[in-house]
Amino acid sequence: MKKNGQKAKSAWCKKAVEAIQKNYRSVLVILGFFLLWEFSVVWFKVPEFVLPPPSAALKHLFIKQADANYNWPLHIRTTLQEFILGFCVTAVLGIGLAIVFVWSKKVKDMVLPLFTFINSLPIIAIAPLILLWMGYGIKTNILIAFLVSFFPVVINTMTGLDSIEDDLLDLIRYLNASKLQLFIKIRIPNSLPYIFSGLKICSTMSIVGAIVGEFIASDRGLGYIIISAQYTMSTPPIFSSLIVISLAGAGLYWVVALAERLIMPWAFKKEQKG
Amino acid sequence: MISQPRAGKSIGRFALSEKTLLSIKNLKKVFPLQGEELVALGSVSFDVYPGEFVTIVGPSGCGKTTLLKIIAGLLPKSEGEIHVDEAMFDPTREVGFVFQKALLLNWRRVLDNVLLPIEILKLDKKKYRSKAMEMLELVGLKGFENAYPNELSGGMQQRVSLARALIHDPKLILMDEPFGALDAITREKMNLELQRIWSESKKTIIFITHEINEAVFLSDRVVVMSARPSRMVGAVDIDFPRPRKLEVRTTPQFGEYAVKLYKMLEIT
Repeated sequence: MKKNGQKAKSAWCKKAVEAIQKNYRSVLVILGFFLLWEFSVVWFKVPEFVLPPPSAALKHLFIKQADANYNWPLHIRTTLQEFILGFCVTAVLGIGLAIVFVWSKKVKDMVLPLFTFINSLPIIAIAPLILLWMGYGIKTNILIAFLVSFFPVVINTMTGLDSIEDDLLDLIRYLNASKLQLFIKIRIPNSLPYIFSGLKICSTMSIVGAIVGEFIASDRGLGYIIISAQYTMSTPPIFSSLIVISLAGAGLYWVVALAERLIMPWAFKKEQKG
Repeated sequence: MISQPRAGKSIGRFALSEKTLLSIKNLKKVFPLQGEELVALGSVSFDVYPGEFVTIVGPSGCGKTTLLKIIAGLLPKSEGEIHVDEAMFDPTREVGFVFQKALLLNWRRVLDNVLLPIEILKLDKKKYRSKAMEMLELVGLKGFENAYPNELSGGMQQRVSLARALIHDPKLILMDEPFGALDAITREKMNLELQRIWSESKKTIIFITHEINEAVFLSDRVVVMSARPSRMVGAVDIDFPRPRKLEVRTTPQFGEYAVKLYKMLEIT
């Protein structure tokens, strides 16, 4: 080990090297997958309307095509808006509902069965109804995204709020802490790991909701592109949409994971007993 | 030397006032268990005088923890009386509790863990920051104020919880086998440290243990409880000058106290 001055720097370098060592294989696998795809399409002369090479999908994203001319920025923006707003609404309402349920057992016993019932409905099946009631537009798709993804947030947060040692509550109860203090000082921070795992599930499900909403009826968004490209049998824009969708889903997942690291640094400290 | 519930008797170290800080009479706790009653705590009576170090010993399951929780107001009593001299201290705010486990909040740094009672009691946090640093120094954890609990060893965690129990300047400290999970070496160190903290801060301590040597070494008085159905067997005054050094354990008198306690616990 180096002297103190260089310790911080060398520790940082070590971290970077570790990150590369840990991740380079998965990056290689992803790259390899796309290369294999590209070359097998060319070698086996697969027609483009069946399976386009990834290069064609990228070409459609960045270069205007005569046959399928989509306003990509508009569609991407629409879907991202629905997806991210849907996620935020779900996060706030889901966590809020869970807190209300744990706060008041009465409300929970009254309302939770209804929510369980709603959750067990296949949302895709009631999406046409929602559309009928609310019409086209971003609000409808946000609502569908919410309905698809709110339950994991509620259940995870409730589990986190409840899974607490009695002793930990006694710790401030003997000082006559109020119920509000019990929540703010102990229950809510204690439930953070559960909340984050709920949000991670939610981050990938709310994009499903947004796309489903666009499938049913819309005049813009990546879901709209997929449906309309299907009618004209032009597959490259479908793959372009899929690439953007998976990047967006993975991106939000990554943002949630990063937020977790920033908000709960203690959970990522190694134990140093001695 | 065995004294039943005392009436203002003074003991060796310093003359105690006639007034009790805490007076427990025929305290009983019964839990319902499958339609029957489980007696967690049979009739217990003893007095605690201000500045005293009282230890309660007894076999596991004799209701020691239950007794402490009733005193702290965490459990309701079934029968009997607890009388608190409210002129001496406010039982809702001036109690400190050290639990068997350290029970640190792992999302808070050490300093913020120590300051937890200040937040709950809605006192001025800024004012107590420097005091928290002093407390950490007192328990030998200077320089660890920004560490997270999971970066500390078990002994260090328990010392943080000790600092936390002392931060709001409680008059009465309740300690439930606080060193039970520690290894023998750390435990002896903690015993010395606790004696020092107690004599410097002039607190009243009720301490639970089932370690006889620890009880004799630390206490002014040891209250002995029997196994379930638990009752109070008696109390022994420990007359050693303070501050006590670890060598006191090698004296014949120490051995006599220990034997007496073993006999009361029916370990012979």
